[in-house]
Formats: sequence, C-alpha cells, structure tokens
Amino acid sequence: MKYLVRAFVLGIVGYAVGVGLTMAIRGGGPTDEVAVVIGYIFALAGWLGGIGGIEAFGRQWIGKSVEVSTDRGWRRYFQFSVDHKVIGIQYGVTLLSVLLIGGIAAMIMRVELASPGVGIVDLDDFNKIVSMHGILMVAVAVAGIIGAFGNYIIPIQIGAQDMAFPRLNAIGFWLVPPVAIALLMSPLLGAFNAGWTSYAPLSVTNESGQILFNMAIVTFGMSSILGGINIITTVITMRAPGMTWGRLPIFTWAGLATSVLAFAVTQFFAAAVILITMDRVAGTSFFQPDVGSALLYEHIFWFYSHPAVYIMVLPGFGVILEIVTTFSRKPLFAYKAVVASLFAIVGLSVVVWAHHMFTSGMANFLHGPFMIITEAISIPTGVIFLGILGTLWQGRLWFRTPLVIAFGWLFNFTIGGITGIFLADVATDIHLHDTYFVVAHFHYTIVGGSIFALIAAVFYWFPKITGRMYNEKAGSIFGVWLALFFNLTFIPLFWAGMNGMNRRIGDYPDAFEGANKFASVSALILGASFLLFVGNLLYSALWGPKVGPNPWNARTLEWLIPSPPPEHNFTSQPVVIGSPYAYGVKGSVHAYFPNAKKGDDPGDDGTRDQEGALV
Amino acid sequence: MRRSWIPVVILWVAYTVLIVVATAQFSWFPKEWAREAEVVDEAMLLLQYLSAPVMALVMAVMTWSVIGWRTEGGAHREDGAPVRTNKTVVTTWLIVTSALAIFVVINPGFIGLAEIRGEPSSDYVINLQGQQFSWEVTYPNGATALDELVIPAHARVRYDIISIDVLHSFWVPAFRIKIDALPGITTTAYATAEEEGTFEDDVNLRIQCAELCGAGHANMAMPIRVVSEAEWTEYVEALAADG
Repeated sequence: MKYLVRAFVLGIVGYAVGVGLTMAIRGGGPTDEVAVVIGYIFALAGWLGGIGGIEAFGRQWIGKSVEVSTDRGWRRYFQFSVDHKVIGIQYGVTLLSVLLIGGIAAMIMRVELASPGVGIVDLDDFNKIVSMHGILMVAVAVAGIIGAFGNYIIPIQIGAQDMAFPRLNAIGFWLVPPVAIALLMSPLLGAFNAGWTSYAPLSVTNESGQILFNMAIVTFGMSSILGGINIITTVITMRAPGMTWGRLPIFTWAGLATSVLAFAVTQFFAAAVILITMDRVAGTSFFQPDVGSALLYEHIFWFYSHPAVYIMVLPGFGVILEIVTTFSRKPLFAYKAVVASLFAIVGLSVVVWAHHMFTSGMANFLHGPFMIITEAISIPTGVIFLGILGTLWQGRLWFRTPLVIAFGWLFNFTIGGITGIFLADVATDIHLHDTYFVVAHFHYTIVGGSIFALIAAVFYWFPKITGRMYNEKAGSIFGVWLALFFNLTFIPLFWAGMNGMNRRIGDYPDAFEGANKFASVSALILGASFLLFVGNLLYSALWGPKVGPNPWNARTLEWLIPSPPPEHNFTSQPVVIGSPYAYGVKGSVHAYFPNAKKGDDPGDDGTRDQEGALV
Repeated sequence: MRRSWIPVVILWVAYTVLIVVATAQFSWFPKEWAREAEVVDEAMLLLQYLSAPVMALVMAVMTWSVIGWRTEGGAHREDGAPVRTNKTVVTTWLIVTSALAIFVVINPGFIGLAEIRGEPSSDYVINLQGQQFSWEVTYPNGATALDELVIPAHARVRYDIISIDVLHSFWVPAFRIKIDALPGITTTAYATAEEEGTFEDDVNLRIQCAELCGAGHANMAMPIRVVSEAEWTEYVEALAADG
C-alpha cells in the first residue's frame, strides 16, 4: 500500500506544483483552465512516478538497475506489478467498479425519467449525469475485455510467460485510475454537460469540468495505445513453438484485431479533445462559432469513435466464440472465414464514420458512399454469426453460466445488428437519429455485445483465475435475470424513439410516460441483478469449491496449466501440435509439454497419450 | 441427431411468420402529417419485414439448442461431430447476406434518399434560427415569430436553418424530418404537410431540438400549426403588419 499512498501524495503535490507554477507565471486563479491543465499534467507524472515508475523506469535513467516488485500476496494488486496476470485482475476489478458507478448513474437517470417533468435532478444536472454515465461506460466497454482478459489470457493462450513489454503494460494500467479520478472529480469544476461525444461548440463554451474530461480522454487514449502495441507485439513475436497462425485461439485473434484498431485510431479522439482544450485555453478557433467548423469536430471525433464500437465488440466476438466452442464440444465452424471477417471489420470500420452524420448538414453526396460501406460491414459480421450458429449446430451443449450469458449476447446482438441497418439507411436514420431508438440500438450492441461478453468472460475464466468455482445456480439465475430485464428495459425505448422522443433529455412530453415508466421499473430490477453478480463473485473467490486445471474440459493452453496459473504461467515450455478446436477428432491434441516431469505442475496427473501430451 | 435440421427449419418458419404477423398487426409509427413521413415509414416497415427471417433464424437455432441439443454429460461428455466448415454453407451464407445488404442499400437506401433529400424545388422558404434554447421563425415576407411555427398544408416548404451559438437540430417527428442547425452554415430540409392540425392534436407536431445543446435542451421545442394556404397567407400578413 505504501506505493499507492506515495502515488496519491506525489499526485497531489504534482497538481499543486503545476497550478502554482502557472499562477506564478501568468497570474490568475487556481481554477483557471490553464492552471488545471498544467496541474493535471504534473499530477499525472507524480502519480506514475509514485506508484512505481521511479523504480521501474527512473532508476534506469541514472544508471541504476530497475526494481520491480516481486510480492506474491494481495499487496501486489496495489503496486506497479509487471505480471500480466496481476495487471489483468487490476483492470478487471477497476473496470467492474467503474461499471457499477456508471450503473448507479443510469439508475438515477431512469428514476428521473420514470415520469415527465423535473423530478430528482434538474435538467442541466441530468445532462451532466448522462455525460458521466456515457463516458464511464464507454471506458468499461473499450477496455473491459481487452484490458482484463486480453492481458490475463492472451499471453497464456499463445504459450508465453508474459507480455512483450511488461513495464509498459503496468504503465498502461496505472494510467486508468487517474482517468476515473479526473472524471469523478469534474463536478468540482462544474462537471461536463456536452455528452460523451462532447460536440463542439458546446464543449468549447460549457463549464470547466469539460477540461478534466478532455484530460481523462487523452490519458485513457494513451493507455489504449500502449495496450494495443503490447498485444500486437506479444501475439506476433511470443507465440510458443508450433503456434502457427492457423492454430491461434479465436480470442487471441480477436484481441489482435482489436489492438490493431485501438493502436490505429485512438489518437483521433485525443486530437479532437486537445483541439477543444486549445480553443478553451490557448485562444485558437478550431471549433469556435463562425470562424471555426463544428462539422470538423464531428468528423475527427467519429473517425475514432465509430471504430471504437468495434474495439468494444471484437473482443466480445472472441469471448463468445471461445465459449460456444467449449460448451458445444465442436470445432469452431468456419474458423478461417471468421478470422478473415474480424480483420475485414477492422478495415471497414475506419471508413464508415460519417454514418453518424447523416443529419449533420455535411455535403449531400457523402451520404451514398457511407451508407454503402456501412451496410457492407453487415457481411463480415454475418460470417461471425455463421461461426457461432454453425458451432452450436448439433453440438453437445452443456448449459453453464458462460453459455447462458452467451445466449443472451446472441439474442441481444442480433437485435443490435438489425436495428443498426435502420440507422445505416439514410431514409430511416433521418427520423431515428438522436432519438431513443438510437439509445436502445447502441445499448443492444454495446451492452448486449460487449458488456454481456465481459460478464460471460468473467464466469468462463473465473475458475482459472481464482482456482475456485463460482456458484452455478446463482450464476445462471443472474444470467437469465440480466438478459430478461435488459430486454424489458430497452425494447420499449425503440418504440419511444420511433414515436418522437429524443435522447439526452431529463423531461419529455406526457405521451411517452407509459414506455418510460416500464423501462424505468425494468432498469431498476436489472440494476439489482448486479448485487447477485458481485455477491456470487466475492463469495466464490473466497469460499467457492476448489477446481482443477480444466473444469470445462476445454483445449486452449490456459486450461492445460494449474488454476490459478503459477507465476511464469508454464513450468515447462509448451509445444503446439494441432488446432485448439479439434473436438471430435480422435487422438487430437492442441499442445503438450515435451520436457515436463511428472508432478512438475499440479495440473499434470501423469497420464499421456501416444504423442506424450497430457490428457 | 442427423435430422435435427427439420425442427430448426420449422421453428425458423414459425418465428418468421410470427414476427411478420406482429409487424403487420401492430401500429408502430406515430401519425404521418407529411408526405416525407410516408416515405420514411414505408422504408422502416420494409426493413422490419426483411429483418424477420434474420431474427427468426437466430431464435430458431437458440431455441433448438436448448430443447434438442442440450446434454447433461458435464465436462467430460462426448464430443460433437468434428465439422470444421462446410463450403456450400459458407458460400450460400455469403451470397445471401451480400444480396440482402445490396438490396437494402438500393431500397430503401438510395430510393428513400432520393425521395427525401432530392427535389430541390419548393413553394415557400421559411427561415429558422436556433439559439440556446429557442427557435425563431422568419416567414417569406419577413415577419418573425418566437411562439409557434404556422405552415400551409399541401405546399412544399424549404426550411433554411441556422444556429447562432452551439449545435441544435431541427426535428419534426410528425414529418420524420431532421437536420442539424450549425453556427455559420445554413442547412436545409424540405417537408410537405398534408393535413391541417395543431400541437394540441398531436404532440409530434413540434420542432424539437434533437442535438444536445445545454441545460434547456429537453424543452427546446416549438409547436407547429398546419393551416390552409389561404389562412396561412392571412396569418403571415397579419404578423408582418403587427411589426
């Protein structure tokens, strides 16, 4: 804990130094936006140094050797640990906490919207809560699966001992808490009311909380980019012998595709908010009314933020495909076509951004091309559905919690995908854009496609990570509860949007009261389901029954090592000799440990097949 | 096991019929007050019908997975058939999904686009200026109003829209028409109201700001009154005379 305390102290000291310097040089008060920006930069440096950057990087700069913590106890989770498994858990716990905070914001919104008129929060505060809910949940969806399970599982799935750049990985994680702190502190400066999209010029003229939002985005972007580089390098260079591209587990493929995308586009969002910051503090006029261009902001913003929805959903595809294969005990159907589709989506996703702008007033001739490319994305997405349905087809399905939640995912994401067609078509989008139809649609894709997959992944890999089994009954009840009330919450909102209710409003015409009341009641019941989720995880992590290395009898490498995995993952080098999904093929083996001695690791019960692999 | 595609196909057909019937029976859209609204609603209905078999297929496989393909063998149950892929299935799937995508790009995509955004002719031009948090109407004769928008029925009106501060969006749910109001750039929208009526008749006869614009965004709305062309001319002239 001493490093965490040091990080907070140095962060606060850094902030004070930054603000002090700014005031000394240019005068003005401590809440001037320039002072806040400079203070934040110093605070971030202080935080990173304090948490362990001094030992992991700073010492090297003065010719001393690097010191990284090798603690094994619970303390390592509060330190600058370079173990990818620790970092994965740090991401997971942090982002699940952010998910719960964002969920509380959603509950406040639904209570306010339960009836027309101003209730528990006034209209401007409502906009601020909408904005906060939006950005917190976007952060969870962007980094939830890839941060937690990308870090924990990908190196093991490819047979590596750690990530390619372990210290960079740690920096990537420790950039996340400042993001949450900056966002949650922003109400002190009036919060931000321009939505997570922060369209200019509103975001140039609103309260100073916007500055903290901007800083948070830049910081979070750095984290995403560092994580992206790390996963790309790890997957390309650190695969075990025999782990050819054709044998790469699908979750790793999805993580690679996601990382390529995150690495390529994240800087655009940062650029957009830096331009806003410049407009606010440096007197530039990129987006100022009349002299600047509001449309320019939308273009730059969506150049990141449309691909971002695939950054959220691609790892979800990976998780669901992995789960479906394991629980149907069949090879992943059309593996090659599915992998090709993941990358087709990566390519197409960067050239569809303007479909968010069909009503923005951009040039009319742009509508056609963006509509065509957007509809084209449905083709590779369809192939991924084929992969899922084809794997389920005549499978030997074992309904455990991960599969139950995967079914919720499948249903929701189909609705999300279909309603996306309505928004991709200009004729219908002109009416539906910025209505509750859009709100319902993106909750079906982002919650349905990314958060459901995150939750499925939590259950699927829980026994691997903790070495204990979650409570199956509580898990599947939660899965059904979640899917049912998620649908009851958002289905009425499609209707509200089609019938004239726009989004981001704390008050609405009386005509929409019925649908909203229904959605609000369902949303509160949906929110309550997370008590069961968190309770199950906490209880089971401490007192759940112990499990062996492979409770699902799955085949990818993480299931061939003990639960939880030892410090360096593998006690002897794995060699990959076949597909991870050759279910039903007699004598097929994914990987074995040629140098393993009996009793080398607790997962090895000594039984081998002809090729020497563990069975 | 081998013939388990039969129940899936039956379920698929059943779900498709169910969704199509529900789509046809239920009234999904608010009242259409303009010609453009009919185009949008038709497009939306067509997409709903096209979605039916897609949604039904996923639901059919999910349902039969629970009923027919479920096993209780636990982790060490038998493996399923080692089917890695099936060229015919993949090719057919690609052809069908591509055909569907191309179809919706053409209709309602391009056809609807042409009908709504095309035809740059109009009988009258009305100017609208958005600002935090109200709309100001300027009629062709220069008369202005802040309380309501009065328009002639059966005439094609071009709306020239601009903002003087942040982004707003001109949305008339009853017409299914929307275009953003930008500071410094004039955007246009066309609508042909087809029936006389007021905001009191239908809450969707309003201009609703649809782009988050600040504290008063939710209530940045202006009622619309559709009257006969003669009545409208009279109203506008009286408004101008009032000064």
